[in-house]
Amino acid sequence: MEIPELNDYREHLLDALDDQPRRAAAERPGLLQVLVNHERVGTLNCAQTDPSFAFTVRERSIQHLEIRGESGVLVGGCVAPEAGKKDVRVPIGKGAAIIQVHNHFDGGSLQMRYEAAPRWWSHVAAAIGMPLGSSKPSTSATAIWTMTTAFAQIVLAVGVVALLAERVPSWMGSDDRAHQLEEELAARQSTQEQIDRVHQQLTQLIEAQTAALAVSRSEQERIAQLNNLVDTVTHAQQKLNTQVVAVQEDLHTVKTDVAQEVHNGMRVAVNAVEADRELVRQDLQTIKSVNETLIKQVALLESRNRELHARLALTSLEVAKANAAPKPTMLAKNDTAKDAAVPTTVADGLRETDRQAFMFWVAFEDGTTEKSIEDLVQELNGIKKGPMKSGWYSVEVNLPKPEPPDRFLESVKRAKIVKSVVTSKAMPPAQ
Amino acid sequence: MSSKLPDGKTMRDGQIFSARLNNVVTTEREFDELVAKSLPELLDRATGQTRRFLRETNQWGDDITHEKLALRWGYELVERFVVFGRTEVPCRPFFLLDSLIAKSFSQPDPLCYHKELLTPVGRFLDGLASRAVVSRDALIALFYHFYGFSQAHVVKLLGFGQAESQRVYKNFERWRQTGWQRTMNETGLSGLEIEVLEQELRTRPDHLNHEVDRLMPVLQSHYRKSEPEHYPCLSEQKWGQLFHDDYGHDYRVWHLAFCRDCFMEVADRRQSEVSSGLKPHVNLHIHPLKKGGVLALFGGDRGGRQHGNTRAQRLSRTSA
Repeated sequence: MEIPELNDYREHLLDALDDQPRRAAAERPGLLQVLVNHERVGTLNCAQTDPSFAFTVRERSIQHLEIRGESGVLVGGCVAPEAGKKDVRVPIGKGAAIIQVHNHFDGGSLQMRYEAAPRWWSHVAAAIGMPLGSSKPSTSATAIWTMTTAFAQIVLAVGVVALLAERVPSWMGSDDRAHQLEEELAARQSTQEQIDRVHQQLTQLIEAQTAALAVSRSEQERIAQLNNLVDTVTHAQQKLNTQVVAVQEDLHTVKTDVAQEVHNGMRVAVNAVEADRELVRQDLQTIKSVNETLIKQVALLESRNRELHARLALTSLEVAKANAAPKPTMLAKNDTAKDAAVPTTVADGLRETDRQAFMFWVAFEDGTTEKSIEDLVQELNGIKKGPMKSGWYSVEVNLPKPEPPDRFLESVKRAKIVKSVVTSKAMPPAQ
Repeated sequence: MSSKLPDGKTMRDGQIFSARLNNVVTTEREFDELVAKSLPELLDRATGQTRRFLRETNQWGDDITHEKLALRWGYELVERFVVFGRTEVPCRPFFLLDSLIAKSFSQPDPLCYHKELLTPVGRFLDGLASRAVVSRDALIALFYHFYGFSQAHVVKLLGFGQAESQRVYKNFERWRQTGWQRTMNETGLSGLEIEVLEQELRTRPDHLNHEVDRLMPVLQSHYRKSEPEHYPCLSEQKWGQLFHDDYGHDYRVWHLAFCRDCFMEVADRRQSEVSSGLKPHVNLHIHPLKKGGVLALFGGDRGGRQHGNTRAQRLSRTSA
């Protein structure tokens, strides 16, 4: 008994396999189930506009892909390599599913898209040369057509039910009449509800279509506004570019001018500074010559002053001699003592002056050798006192006779190598 | 197209093409023609390899149940081969089939094998759950077969809106028309076995429901691997939030159909919405909800639980 049962089962399975292509072809592309490696991973609703499905799996690659209808009929699928790509086009109903599998060693990704076959009115439209338009209006038209067909079917069903309601009581026995009546009533009510529902759906559809049209118009207006805005922005940008170029040129010109002005200014300033330096040099020369003149005048005044001192002393001595002769004895004694003391003092002073060293400062002409200077100092019987300071040599001489220092200094000045002579004892004159 | 052999196997015309299955096929059309004529050989090859896999993994037993299991899984492998092979042309069909089988068996825990599931009720539940992984119709029908929830119950339990509700009704309809029978055929449950199950359900419903309650975790732990990774069990609070904020519709269907604990928790929480008035519990139904069930609202109990219990059908009608 078991063998025939097993054979029947096998036969049944073979028939089912034989019938598989027909069942797959008869399957309407509605909600497709996607199974990866025998596990359900999602659905693809072919009724949507541009239906597509994407899936990514980690750890394992996509080895088996099955596409099944809502009733479980296997309508398509493929086996994918463990690594690499596989593109398959599987016919489903009148359309086709475009499948792209991309596997790598640690996972894979699946992209699936359903392409519906063009409708009969598309062919008609193409045949008569009408433009097909976009997919959205086509979808709306399809929905309206489907709803209209459904409505017609419902009206037909209502008619049939009404006919049956009239005929069936005569067909059925008396026991079932009440039951059939109730059934008819229930069916009518159900049908009426369905009709109302369809009406509501149609109304909603019309409203949705109106709203969609309004939205479409508003979107078109927005796009037009956007285009204007873009044009304005483009125009403004061009203007801005032109202005930027002009500003760059101006900037270049300004830079050149500034550079020239700076250069000229520098040149003028340098010239001015040079002129100022020359003036300062001339002033310095003038001041120097004036200074020398002043030094000479001061030296001359000092020599004259000394000469006057000497004359005053001589004059005082002569006056003292002249006053000493006609005075009485008594007075003469006292006065003599006094007067005698004065001339002695003056005479001692003169002798001391004669013996006193006379110091002066002398400057020599440029290029004068030390030897020439030494020779002159020896000739004057003088001694150089200290080192040279700022071009001035201090020299101390012993005047051989009581002659005025000015005369001595004049004689020194007449020496060729002497540039200047001063008598200030405080410190060497500044040059 | 086919003829019986003395040993009981079927001889098909396609077997003369066996030699060609080792040769290279260059076009899709050639592949389709060759495969269509070589289905018995392909099925036998896939079944043989499945049998060998079960033997090597110490899961084999010399009985008709194991033979049926091997045939069923061989059939699923060949079905995939028929569909996938067209994209692999040019290829050698036998090599490609061997490659597919090897890849399938190289995955962790490729088959739902459990000794407890080898009984008629175990195979029935296994067939339903296995189908629910690939079919939304079967998935929605699980709520009815496991718990006795009609379409209206399911819609309210899952908190669906109008569009989703229509889908649920369509799922029930399609399952009733073709899905259930096809699943039973492909699972290998004979009419006799189904009748025995129905009989047991009538006579000892509590015993059978207890058996289902015991086997459900075994089944769900295997088939919930098909659930996306981001579908974990949620806390009661999060379930409440999910329903309150009205999101995760797909999540609700997938998880609650395959997780008994979460289903019980959500059904208990949403008891007022479901308006069944009873605490949710396992309530096995063998056949799908009958279309005529709507008449039960007025007809009363006409024969017990044969095609869905009366209470469920009545609620279905009133809430539809």
